[in-house]
Amino acid sequence: MLNTSVAIRDIAKKLLDEKKVDLIIGFEKGSVPLRSTPCFVRSTSEADRLIWNVNCENNLAKYLPKTKERVGIVAKGCDVRSIIGLIKENQVTKEQVFIIGIPCKGMIDRRKIEAKLDGKEIIEAEEEDDTIILKGHNLRETIKKEEFLHNSCKTCTHRNPVIYDVLIGDKVVEDQAVDEYREVKEFEAQSHDERWQSFSDEVSKCIRCYACRNACPFCYCQECFVDSSQPQWIGKTTNLSNTAIFHIVRAFHIAGRCVDCGACDRACPMGIDLRRLTKKMEMDVKELFHYEAGINLEDVPPLATFNPDDPQEFIM
Amino acid sequence: MQELEIAKTEVVSLLNTLIRKYKVFAPVEQNGFITFQEIHSGSEAFLDYINSKKPPKEIFFPQSERLFSYNLSKGAGWGVEEPTLEEKQKIIFGIRPCDARSLVLLDNVFDGKLYKDPYYTDKRKNTTIIAIGCNQPGSTCFCTSLGGSPFSQDGSDLLLVDIGQKYIIQVVTKRGEKLAKEHNDVKKAEEHSLSLMRDTMETAEALIKSKIEVQKVTEKLDSMFDDPFWDLVSEKCLGCAICTYLCPTCYCFDITDEVTGQRGERVRTWDSCAFPNFTLQASGVNPRPSSKERLRQRIMHKFNYFVANHGMAACVGCGRCIKECPVNLDIQVILNSILNR
Amino acid sequence: MKNPYLPLPMRVEKIVIETEDKNIKTFSVKFLNDEDEANFNYLPGQFAQLSVLGEGEAPFGIASSPTQPGELQFTVNKAGVLTTALHNLEEGEIIGVRGPLGNCFPLEAFESKDTIIIGGGFAFTTLRSLINYILHQENRSRFGNVVVIYGARSPGLLLYKDELEKWEVRTDLDLHLTVDRADKDWQRKVGVVPNIVKEIAPSPENAYAVVCGPPLMIKFTLPVLRDLDFPPERIVLSLEMKMKCGIGMCGRCNIGNQYVCKDGPIFTLAHLNELPSEY
Repeated sequence: MLNTSVAIRDIAKKLLDEKKVDLIIGFEKGSVPLRSTPCFVRSTSEADRLIWNVNCENNLAKYLPKTKERVGIVAKGCDVRSIIGLIKENQVTKEQVFIIGIPCKGMIDRRKIEAKLDGKEIIEAEEEDDTIILKGHNLRETIKKEEFLHNSCKTCTHRNPVIYDVLIGDKVVEDQAVDEYREVKEFEAQSHDERWQSFSDEVSKCIRCYACRNACPFCYCQECFVDSSQPQWIGKTTNLSNTAIFHIVRAFHIAGRCVDCGACDRACPMGIDLRRLTKKMEMDVKELFHYEAGINLEDVPPLATFNPDDPQEFIM
Repeated sequence: MQELEIAKTEVVSLLNTLIRKYKVFAPVEQNGFITFQEIHSGSEAFLDYINSKKPPKEIFFPQSERLFSYNLSKGAGWGVEEPTLEEKQKIIFGIRPCDARSLVLLDNVFDGKLYKDPYYTDKRKNTTIIAIGCNQPGSTCFCTSLGGSPFSQDGSDLLLVDIGQKYIIQVVTKRGEKLAKEHNDVKKAEEHSLSLMRDTMETAEALIKSKIEVQKVTEKLDSMFDDPFWDLVSEKCLGCAICTYLCPTCYCFDITDEVTGQRGERVRTWDSCAFPNFTLQASGVNPRPSSKERLRQRIMHKFNYFVANHGMAACVGCGRCIKECPVNLDIQVILNSILNR
Repeated sequence: MKNPYLPLPMRVEKIVIETEDKNIKTFSVKFLNDEDEANFNYLPGQFAQLSVLGEGEAPFGIASSPTQPGELQFTVNKAGVLTTALHNLEEGEIIGVRGPLGNCFPLEAFESKDTIIIGGGFAFTTLRSLINYILHQENRSRFGNVVVIYGARSPGLLLYKDELEKWEVRTDLDLHLTVDRADKDWQRKVGVVPNIVKEIAPSPENAYAVVCGPPLMIKFTLPVLRDLDFPPERIVLSLEMKMKCGIGMCGRCNIGNQYVCKDGPIFTLAHLNELPSEY
């Protein structure tokens, strides 16, 4: 990890020095253990803040839509696919973006670690190659990184950036054997009532903070449907009807665009399994349109285009 | 100040007794985190915790609250109905001192000189607060910087201190005293218990490492409105409402009408100054168009404007915003940056 | 305890379309209950929250003067959800009112001084209340000269046209009407309000200036008043912000440590200069 951090700093300084970019978006050390935080660097003197570790869980592509600056962006496999999607949707141009690609073996889910520690708090966390040493009051424990990865990382099939301007480190082995839709299929196999109950239980936890929406790079609408007052599509209260509609409609809005980066899931403070709907959307788009979001710059997003000889009539 | 004590083994039975007469709220474990719920049996209470995910402000100021309802069918006339107010007395058991202090802070807003909010004040009037002090403050806690402490009595009627086998019960108000004296398991505290209590309190306070001079922050903010500082510090903010909704002292709300068929309600729902259209006017003008203005508003409101109006910062140092922010925007880092400017 | 969120019922007695584009209407409303009317004591400058059940609530300056008892008047510009709902009402329908809210113009300070009243567009509503209050025979003698400068984009967009005609012929006030763009029938001044203020050049001696209008008009009028030597303590403004509760609790309308709904909407320029420039 140290080498990656140094390499990122070096490329950042070079890009800023040569005025190839106005801004580097990366990560710096967080203010509490097991956190890294987005970092915006505009001068070479600040570039030493940049780091890379197993806590760089945010999708920095979030900060790209509508930017006028030329940006050098630190991006792991999933983030790069988001950037491709944003380019295809004209939210940023390819020329504006210098992708500093990082092959990724997965990010740590700190909430899984907290659950395992059963209330004991971490004062310090030391990252090693495959493990993390956790220290706290009456606490010293070593955990294996691979046992505490985010769920979206466990089923990731694009760990290596599919496009990049520079790649930091060697490519990692892709997991070809993983059944990334296993949980979706298990959920689908349940009865209608079971699925509705399970879904209602999940979204009942929602406090409508919209962190899921705001963390997602593809939620960049000037006015989100939840904020519209003329007409008002959904109410402001947290009753099941309002909350369920928010999540269902958002899942449909990002269908065909979502790359399962997990940003929504990670942002949610109430631990709602947000990927249940989005992963199902992803599977359906693959089966119906043979399309995977963000793999290359050429494939046309199926839900954003129309052909006269499409099998179904327009919209219906 | 009077000190009583109760054996930990008697707490469940104490709660059961209280449940017979009162509506009792206590921390329970649900979905992997702690939340304040009404309990129907003393064993449901989960007291070995640092703090709840959502602040107990929601007991007095629920996320969605019906202000009144009405009938829209022709011929129904004006037909506005206020909700009937809850008569049964309530107890909140096991709240942390920071959250108890936050209620005193919210009283400034909802129980003002000119206007009183009956939905909030009625609930406050009939609720007894029994707090449990923090032997093990959380890693993101900084209550001592805001005039609080792991054993602050502000806002409590009774404050419990965990000394191992027993809780010491510090009697803070007459209301608390009356409640405590109703129970046989509650005895006068023994002297050696009190000395153990003092040690426990001292140890716990020393565990809070963060010391921020909030008064100096308030002074500095007087002249920082146009400082470019706000551009830098707000750049990573996502503009979600996690910090505001999980904050025990945030209270901004929206009022809307929700209609189903012929029946409608005017409801109050939590809102957040972090949302882009919080200040958006119908004409399209928005005084706070970007995250810079909105983050500035949050910090200045909490640490400068609220101080000017009520003499205290609108923060109790509970640390929830630090723990839950998806991008690790840390309020302590912001406050220290302000001090260093 | 009185519930400050509960609106009181009022019947819409009369609806008058004020402007030729039909986007502005004045509603005359009367309390259903006499007791509610007796308790509604207001002064010029204050506002009330109007409710259309099922649609919502929004704040409106009270356009009538307390010297006109028996009914209240509100002038509404159709812009969003609630204003559209109001515009769709017919005479006889019931709306809800919460108020009076906010502070009023500093009438005691105005007494025995001249008042220069400057209004633009549809922000003229509470100024109309102020003017009618001052002109009332029980009050007039306590106030000095009254100069009114009122402008709109075009003649058809002026409010209260009947009243303006009556005011024009009065000797106890000096009315100057202006439009940005005249039509063929317009005989009076032409020019934006700030320029007309400059032209008339009212004296700041022993005088208060009251300014209500769209942000752009205010932006250009304030320097004119400054050049005329009006001190900030004697320039009075009425602010507009998005509001919800109207009672200083929901946090929406704050500017610095002040709430426009509770500490305002009337502020002197001197006071505003102490607040952050966020409006």
